[in-house]
Amino acid sequence: MEDLPELIVSATASGCIYALVALAYLLILRPTSVINFAIGEWAATGAFIGVAVLTPLAWPRLEGPYWLALVAVLVILGLLGWLVEVVTVRPLIRRGAGITSPILALLGVLVIFRESLTMLFGADPLPSPPPFGFKRVALGPFAGASQQFLIIGATFAVFVAVWLFFERTVWGRAFEAVALNRRAAALIGINLRRVTALAFAAGAMVAGLAGLLMTPLTSAHYMMGLPLAIQGFTALVIGGVGRVEGALLGGLLLAFVEQLGARYLPIPSGLTLGFPFVLLIVFLFLRPGGLIAPREAC
Amino acid sequence: MSSCRLSCWAVAALLAVQTASASAQDTIKIGVITDRVASAKFYAEPVTRGVELGAKVLNDKGGALGKKLQLIIEDDQNKPDVSAAKARKLVDDGVAAIVSNTGSPATQQAQTVSLETRTLHLTPANSADTLTTLLDNPYFFQTGPLASIQLATLMAYTKSRGFKAVAIVRDNSALSQSFADSFRQGLDKVGIKVALEEVIPQGATSAVANLQKVRAEKVDAILQAGVLGPEMLQFFRAYQQLGMKEPILGSYNLSIPAYLTMAKDLMEGVVFVDAFDLDKPEAKLFADVYVKEYGEPPSSLPAYGWDGIRLLALAMEKAGSLDKEKLRAAMQSTTSFVGAIGAKGASWGFRDGKRTGFDPQGAVVRVIKDNKHGPVVYAGQK
Repeated sequence: MEDLPELIVSATASGCIYALVALAYLLILRPTSVINFAIGEWAATGAFIGVAVLTPLAWPRLEGPYWLALVAVLVILGLLGWLVEVVTVRPLIRRGAGITSPILALLGVLVIFRESLTMLFGADPLPSPPPFGFKRVALGPFAGASQQFLIIGATFAVFVAVWLFFERTVWGRAFEAVALNRRAAALIGINLRRVTALAFAAGAMVAGLAGLLMTPLTSAHYMMGLPLAIQGFTALVIGGVGRVEGALLGGLLLAFVEQLGARYLPIPSGLTLGFPFVLLIVFLFLRPGGLIAPREAC
Repeated sequence: MSSCRLSCWAVAALLAVQTASASAQDTIKIGVITDRVASAKFYAEPVTRGVELGAKVLNDKGGALGKKLQLIIEDDQNKPDVSAAKARKLVDDGVAAIVSNTGSPATQQAQTVSLETRTLHLTPANSADTLTTLLDNPYFFQTGPLASIQLATLMAYTKSRGFKAVAIVRDNSALSQSFADSFRQGLDKVGIKVALEEVIPQGATSAVANLQKVRAEKVDAILQAGVLGPEMLQFFRAYQQLGMKEPILGSYNLSIPAYLTMAKDLMEGVVFVDAFDLDKPEAKLFADVYVKEYGEPPSSLPAYGWDGIRLLALAMEKAGSLDKEKLRAAMQSTTSFVGAIGAKGASWGFRDGKRTGFDPQGAVVRVIKDNKHGPVVYAGQK
């Protein structure tokens, strides 16, 4: 009987990782209409930066505290996201390229990031210590690894912060205005270039955070980006591309279907690999807007 | 002035060619194909390190045929097509033999070159049973323990423990599936039931659901057939998190030392197949040399390379020249070679025209203790 509460903790933690990746997609997609599949590699970059700061396994072998890893991930990924926008996306937009051009360019960025990570950190998976150790934590019947509870707490904090940003700040309103109507937003004086750059920086920071948080459970490795990109994108489609809450809901739903299915469905566990794709197809057919519909322009 | 300068250049070039030629005559070139960046890197690099150490020790004692051994190391990225191209390059460079420390499919492809060019070709660590059967290449020899031998040893151990029902846990890579299939067949032969087979897919963020299913089946033991590091880490994390106590038996993949770093402190008590026993004098000698050179104790993997290069040097001495046919015949006539690899009392030999030399009783089962590859708890297939 202890299985279900344990599984709820595990699925919620996994769902939170998917949700963070979905949020990273959404932060870029909403104001720019660009789907950035390099998000997964950005998460991997965050994971490797975490390993480099926290352990002696990779340069600069700091064995530093967790807060330092967090700051390093947010700062470096923010800069990288901004740089990617400036170098690859902005020139294309300036020249009036179609929407597919930045998407293709970002696929190139994906390859560059993956190969760079392999060259810098090698092909071996690198483990990372969790800030609160590996011990099992139990909150009543809900038991799991301390890192799983940290992931859940941190994810909810990020989502609350992002929601408040969009709902309560002028900058958030500017993002929303650009998302609703780019041309009208420009006409009322919103700096589109700055919004786009900030969107890429924020998306990269959230993706990097997802990588940092999941590494103690999975290790950092150069192949981790693509599965995350797929799971995050699926979560985004399920939840709906228009709202922050949708990313969270989509991530959680995907993880619960995966893990409850793997545990309780009378099918070979290998078939659970297909769950994200089945969900993706089902939602694209039946509810292409996702679970939560975006706000309409007034 | 101009003609004087030209003459000086010509003399310098002539001297350089003569020096290079003299140097080449003083050495025997041996090509090594390894994987430095891809999925076989885990084991390829340590095995290559063993080859390098073996060559160094041999050279300190005069090399082979009175010449120093010169290793030319090429990275094939564990890609079959690249491996064949690298083998071709090594042959063009004039190597007397090729040592393949890469994935089995890559070694298989490189054989097309060794067969065509009649170059002695050795793999000291590859375990695929088909390497000497898919292609009839008389110049190719395999000295590592075959997968079938390792499996039979693990199954003999499993049976000796009285297990009746087990679970197999694997990832969704082709190699892991192949391990799991072999486990199934082996378990079937010794009458042990496979209660369930669980797959942890690549990219999974938790293996809790998989191991809950295993826990619910109340099996006697878990056979770990995974090969992908991150997914194996998930397995060990979930095992620990769920407080499970079922014994874990692993394939020889667990002899790769990188797993001890990756799943640090999570593998205590896990048993795995290996071919290395530190109580054996030849293994101890190797370990002492290794510690002296690198300042750390070796895993079993460098010992494969160490034995491989020694075997090659022995064949060269036996052949008395680098003639390709004589080298092949000398290698084929190897019998009773006792290396660092293999259980106590085991020896290698390519008897009856076989080109797989490992003693069927030479694999061992070891246990992980204090985050290290610990003592042998079982040997052979008895």
